[in-house]
Amino acid sequence: MKAARIKEKIIFTIFGLATALCVAAFATIAAILLSGLGTIKLEHLTKSALQGGYFEMIIGTLYLLVGSAGIAGPIGLLAAIYLVEYAPRGRLTRVIDQAINNLAGVPSIVIGLFGYTFFCRQLGLGISLAAGWLTLTLMMLPIVIRGSEEAIKMVPKSFQEAALALGAPKWKAITSITLPAAAPGIITSILLGIARVAGETAAILFTSCVLVTRGLPKSPLEPIMALAFNLYVKIVALGEAPERVFGIALILFMIVVIFAAAAITFRVYYRRRQLWLR
Amino acid sequence: MLKKLKETTIFLKSLRAEPLGAPAFICASSAIILLLLMLIFIVREGSQAFLNLGAELIIGAVWDTNAGRYGGLPLIYGSIIVVFVALAIAIPIGVASSIFISEILPHPLRDPIKSIIELLASIPSVIYGFIGLLFIAPRIASLFGLSTGTVALTASITLAIMSTPTIVGVAGETIAAVPKEYKEAALALGATRWQMIKGIVLPASKSGILASILLGFGRAIGETVAVLMVAGNTAIIPSPPWNILSPVYTLTAAIAMQMGEAAVGSLEYSALFGLGLILFIIAFIVNTLADVVVTREKAKIRGAG
Repeated sequence: MKAARIKEKIIFTIFGLATALCVAAFATIAAILLSGLGTIKLEHLTKSALQGGYFEMIIGTLYLLVGSAGIAGPIGLLAAIYLVEYAPRGRLTRVIDQAINNLAGVPSIVIGLFGYTFFCRQLGLGISLAAGWLTLTLMMLPIVIRGSEEAIKMVPKSFQEAALALGAPKWKAITSITLPAAAPGIITSILLGIARVAGETAAILFTSCVLVTRGLPKSPLEPIMALAFNLYVKIVALGEAPERVFGIALILFMIVVIFAAAAITFRVYYRRRQLWLR
Repeated sequence: MLKKLKETTIFLKSLRAEPLGAPAFICASSAIILLLLMLIFIVREGSQAFLNLGAELIIGAVWDTNAGRYGGLPLIYGSIIVVFVALAIAIPIGVASSIFISEILPHPLRDPIKSIIELLASIPSVIYGFIGLLFIAPRIASLFGLSTGTVALTASITLAIMSTPTIVGVAGETIAAVPKEYKEAALALGATRWQMIKGIVLPASKSGILASILLGFGRAIGETVAVLMVAGNTAIIPSPPWNILSPVYTLTAAIAMQMGEAAVGSLEYSALFGLGLILFIIAFIVNTLADVVVTREKAKIRGAG
């Protein structure tokens, strides 16, 4: 009996160390990046890239995120509504489900290849912001669908049944009862989708970015600058020392962590407030 | 057949009656359409390579674009060795962490630790590559006395850090889903907590853990930017083959590095899409397997309950 207790202690300690290692990995990465804080000046954030600043890269990244969230958000939400509220049990639903899982698993570089041949060339969008939106939509969609599905499923059936009993048609019950109750979860899923694609490089590599533009793009059909792309090209193609691109890495890291942390906090906060989830 | 047709008409009618039904249906089915489009276009662009190179694209031992040789074997081998070493590190750490977080860690600490691991998962791959180059590669170089730290092992370590959160997330979910009654029954019989975990929790969640490993594998083999920044990118099969201190070139890296230079319509361009198709198929198999494992388990639980 005593031996079993000691064995347990040892095993749990090892497991605890594994967890500590994960936490330490995050802390180390954050510490390395934050140590670069001194290398960027606040004025660089609003200065053009032609003068050594980051302005077009930051705005370009935000343009990409807002646009793809604007496309993937509504489509993903509608798809989730279908899967939870309308889909009959059967072969087709099963296939849709598997297609979503598979879409989530397609490597981003393959999505980039497809984006290039389909959006840039077949649809004639060229290397452009719009092509980037559509390509990133492919990556964001599964995250939004799965997250929203989860959120809608969490709303107790009785809420909707009450509305239906009062004579509301189903769509009305969904839009006025279910969706408001699921809204925090849906917003979380969109924020997570944004965090996922904010630093995406492989998918925009050949679809929407260039190293330098003159000012901001004037239309969605123009190429853009983005933080992730610039960081990648400067290190890999131009062979710049990592120390010299610290600023870009740090800003990108902060944007991604802000979106991801917002999503996680939002979820934790609302789980506590939504009493029916307890 | 007739019954099926009738069911379909009823289904379509029910969608028509609801203004939300049809658009929702179209959006959900778009996943199938997008996946098919992706397959069609990648096959179309890669067809020239399949016709001209045939099996060479998979089993040819020389990848040298200057010499016009497009043998994919060194790339496939590079991808596999990097991923296997990465998973050899990530699986034990990931599974141990997920057990620790959902079974051992005191309740108030669970959410914060889970959140940190989720944040780790959200860090973009280009940042992992940057950290790998700045922090891991120099240490590997000095530890093993190498002239350069950009070798397979560095890529594996970077990749291990990236795939651990995926494994922790998916495995943690299934471990947390093991019914409380099972665990309490074991504890009531006098089992220690470790005996309870080993005898009840792990067997009950083994398919979820398997699915998490499969998904981790899929994520790792498709990882591009982080790997290419630290793997050295030399299209050779290391000698001896298990030498992880040799630079390697992966499928994903070859596509990312060479797409920019390959002229549209050239054999090189087509060969890169061929590599893309290989990756697409690997990802498809892995995800479908994970799907089957999870679905079967769900059916079993439903049958038991």
